[in-house]
Amino acid sequence: MSTEAEIAAPPARRTILLLTLCAVAAALLILFAAVLPAEYNRDPTGLGRLTGIARLWAPEEQKIGGAITGAPASRSYPVPFRSDIVEIQLATGDDTNGGNELEYKVHLEKGASYVYSWSVSGVSDPEEFYTEFHGHTVTNGKSMTVAEYRKATGASDNGVLTAPFTGIHGWYFQNQSVPAVKITLRLAGFYTLIPAGQPGNEKGLGARQLAP
Amino acid sequence: MTPLAQYKPIARQLVTMIAVMLAFAASEALAHAIGGRDAAFVAATRGPAPGPFLYLGAKHMVTGYDHLLFLFGVIFFLTRFRDVVLYVTLFSLGHSITLLSGVLIGFGLDSYLVDAAIGLSVVYKAFDNVGGFEQTVGFRPGPRLIVFGFGLIHGLGLATKLEQLGLNPQGLLVNLVSFNVGVEFGQVAALTVLLALIAMWRRTRLFNTTAVAANFAIMTAGFVLMGLQLAGYVWGPAL
Repeated sequence: MSTEAEIAAPPARRTILLLTLCAVAAALLILFAAVLPAEYNRDPTGLGRLTGIARLWAPEEQKIGGAITGAPASRSYPVPFRSDIVEIQLATGDDTNGGNELEYKVHLEKGASYVYSWSVSGVSDPEEFYTEFHGHTVTNGKSMTVAEYRKATGASDNGVLTAPFTGIHGWYFQNQSVPAVKITLRLAGFYTLIPAGQPGNEKGLGARQLAP
Repeated sequence: MTPLAQYKPIARQLVTMIAVMLAFAASEALAHAIGGRDAAFVAATRGPAPGPFLYLGAKHMVTGYDHLLFLFGVIFFLTRFRDVVLYVTLFSLGHSITLLSGVLIGFGLDSYLVDAAIGLSVVYKAFDNVGGFEQTVGFRPGPRLIVFGFGLIHGLGLATKLEQLGLNPQGLLVNLVSFNVGVEFGQVAALTVLLALIAMWRRTRLFNTTAVAANFAIMTAGFVLMGLQLAGYVWGPAL
């Protein structure tokens, strides 16, 4: 037997066993608090949520274009028609706590449409207001389908959307101007609102439903 | 001696171990695979391309902390240069055998399990380094044989990574041998740095007090690698 690659004074048997146990414990802590939540979205201990590391995990995105081809010009929907006004306050663009940005989306079945119109008041320069109009599927699984309809700066937009897939479809608003601003969003169509706190309405905004 | 005093050396080692571990922590997060543009290149290549494969092999080794951690453990207590050469040659021989035969024959092994075994090799070497086997079972398995054996396993890891990329049969042998030679180049480059660092470390008075802790930190990293890969085996690819 060779004698090279040996420690000069090995620690006592008990020290070795204790430190080995400590190494296992440290590895388990690292795995459950950091690696598994970040890499596999598994957080049995809740430690990943506690440290915020679980947020690193994001489902794989499958991007599709926003265009629907071959949709008939006339369509009828089983979902009741509704119309809402949503008012959104955004803090100054200097707000470092994220009060200057917000996501608001509503649920649409595949092929369902809404007509929208939004405008923002209070911005000093329309170029200092940024929006991303997009939709994605809601899933806890491994991938989600994402469609990006429009990314632009500007103080207003009007249009119509027909959902390319069942999911949540709406806006990311970001105020970059110094004054606080107010967005007024009008929707009409065949959608359902998202309950407060769920994906698409994390801030729990209320909508004022207009009489049908 | 108070009852608590006997735990003082353990506590001191623990604190040092945590400190050394923080140094590893940054690179622990991801499984080590050939990815991105490199993977696209490998998949698209038809015919011999020795240059690129040489580079990929070297890059895989230099950036492969699983292999580097094991090598670090292997050379940790080697003071004579010829011992370093001997052990590294045994390791290289081992991983070349399974890298070449693994891709050519295609063992079809699960890469997560192979990578978990590589994590185990890191744990084993760290435990061996602190005299764990002599102190607990009174017998130390021959370190030369062990480094060769774990070399075989590390080679399987290299082979499964290459296999997954769907190598084209055209020019396979040339590309494979180039990759293997690249691995050896990368290993020499990494070893040069590791040896220099250890030599400097060994010369300080700090070495004696930190050597044991460093090996338990390496062991912890090995356990983390094992857990990461076993999780991948159970839950599928990390995202």
